[in-house]
Amino acid sequence: MSEARKALRVARKELLDHSRDLRSVLSALLFPLLGPVALALMFQVIASWSGKNAVIELPIVGKANAPALVSFFERHGVTVTDAPADYEERVRDGTLDIVLVFPDDYGAAFAEGRPAPVDVVLDSSRTKGHARAMRVRRMLDAYAGSIGAARLLARGISPELAAPLAATEIDLATPERLAATILGSIPMFLVFAAFAGGMYVAIDVTAGERERGSFEPLLVCPVSRGSLVVGKWLATVVAAMLALLVSMAAFAVAVRAVPLESLGVKARFGPEEMGYVLAAAAPLALFASALQMLLSTLARSFKEAQTYLQLFLMLPFLPAIYIAMAPIEPSLWMMTVPILGQDLLLAEVLRGEAMGPLAFLLSGLVSVALSAVCLAATARLFKSERIIFGR
Amino acid sequence: MIEITGLHKQFGSVVAVDDVTFHAENGAITGLLGPNGAGKTTTLRVLSTLVRPDRGTVTVDGIDVVSNPLAVRERLGVLPDTRGLYPRLTARENIRYYGELFGMSGKELENRIDELVRVLDFGHVADRRTQGFSQGERMKVAIARSLVHAPKNVLLDEPTNGLDVMSARALRSFVKRLKDDGACVVFSSHMMQEVAMLCDRIVVVASGRVVADGTSEALLAQTGEKSLEEAFVTLVGLADTEGASP
Repeated sequence: MSEARKALRVARKELLDHSRDLRSVLSALLFPLLGPVALALMFQVIASWSGKNAVIELPIVGKANAPALVSFFERHGVTVTDAPADYEERVRDGTLDIVLVFPDDYGAAFAEGRPAPVDVVLDSSRTKGHARAMRVRRMLDAYAGSIGAARLLARGISPELAAPLAATEIDLATPERLAATILGSIPMFLVFAAFAGGMYVAIDVTAGERERGSFEPLLVCPVSRGSLVVGKWLATVVAAMLALLVSMAAFAVAVRAVPLESLGVKARFGPEEMGYVLAAAAPLALFASALQMLLSTLARSFKEAQTYLQLFLMLPFLPAIYIAMAPIEPSLWMMTVPILGQDLLLAEVLRGEAMGPLAFLLSGLVSVALSAVCLAATARLFKSERIIFGR
Repeated sequence: MIEITGLHKQFGSVVAVDDVTFHAENGAITGLLGPNGAGKTTTLRVLSTLVRPDRGTVTVDGIDVVSNPLAVRERLGVLPDTRGLYPRLTARENIRYYGELFGMSGKELENRIDELVRVLDFGHVADRRTQGFSQGERMKVAIARSLVHAPKNVLLDEPTNGLDVMSARALRSFVKRLKDDGACVVFSSHMMQEVAMLCDRIVVVASGRVVADGTSEALLAQTGEKSLEEAFVTLVGLADTEGASP
């Protein structure tokens, strides 16, 4: 029987074996859902902050003192209520976002044309109700502006004289910006899936095999070390690819499910994008599997391998964090750096601007070449007496 | 047919096998007898191509273990020192995997597995996952697995270790069958009685050297002792004093 067929037999056995292993199945199917679920949750929270369509409830102290202003608020979709006596306490602990207080001399001052006193009670250290509080502030300003303009007109003066600036606010630090940042984390999670998906299989087929004492008898079978390593690697790659596909599908669903449009963010994640995502990330799954097998072979025990690889799971986050801190313009040489290349390729795909085929090819080739190096090194280790007998 | 001439192997400064020469014939059980640490396991590991010898020649059916390890492995059935099974696979699946790696498939493989299950008598657990098997059941599966390809040369490294009386008996009778089928069996043990009962020839190894080689009668004659145990103690003691004085 040819060595290639023997490698396939090894792969088939490992897949059967690991399909019965809860840890392997969970790391291939459940870990990859981490990112998409986190993304969906964060978007729901952000959407609730911005709450453009949410009904605003506005507690007021001294409603009776400012009936015209109260009806102005109500016309603009605000439900005005009587503020509870302990409103300051409530604002401090966050159960109320903003409370307006109209003192008893409000009416008199307003009627005499003096600035009428209004207390705006809010806690600016809280982000949750900030957007709602700002909307109430803006309505208050709009009301004051319209009254001021009416008074000037009544005296025959153009209100424009009192408005030397026509300022339009363009706020960049908005939920929209945050949403874009979160979308930018998708590549990182896809890379993470490629690593995490095959992790347990990689450990179990190497360090695990030795720990349960099945390594020595296996090595006595007439199969070259190379075929053994390739067979085990293929099984690991299947797990990693599975994780990648699950992660990608879940992101596609999540991106469609969350109210991106209402946040003014666009993300493209259709069939075409998925093809690009696979083209970028699949070679990485090959490399991640080979690298994890090499490291686990070097480890003295299953536990030790697990410790190494869990540290290694931080790898996908390093370039992603760097890119987030200091945005860089992707250039071709970066494609030769594994993980960084994939992060950039994926980010561009999701922005709807896939890079040229050369970038995909370059990053893919580097991953394939590094996989071959790791596999050859592992096959060498499989011949080492120190590794076989765990000396 | 197994031949070892002048085998020497050391790990760092520790000499595991100093100078071992013996041969094992077809249709015979050759006992490799020696105390723990005498070099039995290392000798068997060199034979099964997992350890490279520093000096000496080792051949199986005339094929050198260093220059053609794959061909040697095809002719060997080895029950090594560590003999773990895959706990998530059934006994049958464990054996089938090795059969496939030895190039077997289809009906031929399934028939052979059935035969081994019958001869070694573990039909009641054959389709269960091996997790939780008893020592005896595990040993039977490990033996079936290493002999699935019906090898002509069989290496058994302390196969009765940890077995109860009944399992050890069943194993010994199975080893006799292998011999009757014409196989060359090398059986390592540190238990004098067992080796005397089973083996046609006994090679006594101590401190990495062969100190005696012959039938149990010859060993008694060589040492002038009445019981095999005394003969064994004498032989091992001789090796120790020789090793102590350079």
